[in-house]
Amino acid sequence: MIPFLRYSAASLALLWALAPVYWLATISLKTEADQFAHPPRWIGFSPTLTHYAEAFGGGSFGVYFLNSVWVAAASTILALALGVPAAYALARFRWPADSAERIGFWVLSNRMLPPIVTIVPLFLMFQKAALVNSLSGLILVYTAFHLPFVIWMMRGFFQEVPVEIEEAAMLDGESRMGALLRIVLPVAAPGLAATAVFCLIVSWNEFLFALILSQTESAMTMPVGIASRVTQYEIKWGAMSAAGVAATLPVLLFAILAQRYFVRGLSLGAVKG
Amino acid sequence: MALEIREITKHFAARTAVDRVSLQADSGEFVVLLGPSGCGKSTLLRMIAGLETPDTGSILLDGREITRLDPRDRDIAMVFQSYALYPHMTIAANIGYPLRVRKRPPPEIAGEVEQVARRLGLSPLLNNKPGQLSGGERQRVALARAIIRRPKAFLMDEPLSNLDARLRLDMRAELKHLQHELSTVTVYVTHDQSEAMTLAHRIAVMRDGKLQQFDTPARVYHRPANLFVAGFVGGSPMNLIPGRAEAGEFAAPGIRVPCAAPAQDVTLGVRPEHVLFSAGAQPGYSAASVWLTEDLGSETLVRLKADSTMITCRAPGDFELAPGSPAWFQIPASRTLFFDSHTTQLL
Repeated sequence: MIPFLRYSAASLALLWALAPVYWLATISLKTEADQFAHPPRWIGFSPTLTHYAEAFGGGSFGVYFLNSVWVAAASTILALALGVPAAYALARFRWPADSAERIGFWVLSNRMLPPIVTIVPLFLMFQKAALVNSLSGLILVYTAFHLPFVIWMMRGFFQEVPVEIEEAAMLDGESRMGALLRIVLPVAAPGLAATAVFCLIVSWNEFLFALILSQTESAMTMPVGIASRVTQYEIKWGAMSAAGVAATLPVLLFAILAQRYFVRGLSLGAVKG
Repeated sequence: MALEIREITKHFAARTAVDRVSLQADSGEFVVLLGPSGCGKSTLLRMIAGLETPDTGSILLDGREITRLDPRDRDIAMVFQSYALYPHMTIAANIGYPLRVRKRPPPEIAGEVEQVARRLGLSPLLNNKPGQLSGGERQRVALARAIIRRPKAFLMDEPLSNLDARLRLDMRAELKHLQHELSTVTVYVTHDQSEAMTLAHRIAVMRDGKLQQFDTPARVYHRPANLFVAGFVGGSPMNLIPGRAEAGEFAAPGIRVPCAAPAQDVTLGVRPEHVLFSAGAQPGYSAASVWLTEDLGSETLVRLKADSTMITCRAPGDFELAPGSPAWFQIPASRTLFFDSHTTQLL
């Protein structure tokens, strides 16, 4: 009886979570007539790929997609490249009094600022620096946005790695850098993967900054591109859904590949022992 | 002189962790740093390793000054209390790591790993990960990793303290044998005085960052330099009885022993196994009563009360005497040590 209840509850939860995804996927495959059929056609409809052709063939979603890939990848790599050494320094080096704690908290406190309050000053600054409507501008913003998270997460993961194995590596002949690259980072790999996946997903989904800072076709990312298909005269549900499905796939793929690391990474600090 | 430590001092904030310590170890010598936790022995070891930098003083290895060199340039191997194996590598990769860092050709590394593994009985485990090994096996891997590159010195930081009692004794013997075979200068940190006594050629007893005595186990045991060493070293602690020296005699309540020291407050030290004990009255013996007996199997510790003074002596394993029974004891003058009660130093 108990297993039955458990599975029923799980099924309901799955239904709740997956129904919108199913709806999105089917809309992208339906003709306009089927999209607005009443009562809704959950299964029996004749599938078509015209919306995909419209979105990626003639439309600009191909460009948006590549823009999103570039912005997400570049900002994640940059944030890791800058944040990992900072996190390592905070976790490992001897700091006067408890300043490592204070710096750590200050870094984290940057995440407490609602992003929207920075929009106007950022826009003005970017305008002066000719960074509006450029992918570099978005990469810069996302990197700055990810940094506190990367530093905070990786600091925790580095603290989990016993300092002795690093010392052992240095006595075995490694420099500090060598010990970091060949011993500490591989051991902290689950944490690094979890952090990277998180940055990727956040950049990939980010809407607010992208909407304000990039409004030209050539600099739009997927979320803004999709939203731009809600126009004054019509809403292109089919094309938007097709783009939505395409936008989901890379994140889904990445999450599946990194799932093992992700779960281990997030629970790493949770259990002592 | 293989390893020489000159006047090393290290402060952490306001605390002095190591205070002007000097030590020398000859080549092939096994030196044990012994002391209670927080006495600075691990800090001293870490300074030899290069993991801490001393504030003042210098360290020489085979005549070369290494005080401020990076750990990797010192040619020293260390075994950690937690073993510090690389969890993401196989045992073979762990053992071979020091050679791989030094860019030795892989076939050569494989050969050396094979040889060291065989010596330490690790051959069947080479393809496992550290997580699959027992504590004793991990300890062996850590040793194998240390000896594979034949360093100039071994450092060991309480390497046996994470093992269970039985295994600890086996590993202790193995370690001693290995060190004897390799005859590489070894500095070993422990708070366990029995480990220090059995392993060391010389013991450096430390307390509060200061070196108390640096001598052979026998000398440290029989001629402790001060009250601290006398109380710290020895399976059952030395009897330390405060009293007064006067007119060629030491006097404490219930005890009188010949003592050459000039008139002053002194503390009498005598090991339990040197106190002569009898259940019947004998000439030259003093009277006391049994306060408690503790049967340890191979021997029995008998705590006597003479007037208000407690004194412990040793009896055979099956010895039994009810508390309160009369007993007699004698402290042979040849076995007595006298310490200045104020300076705590041996007279």
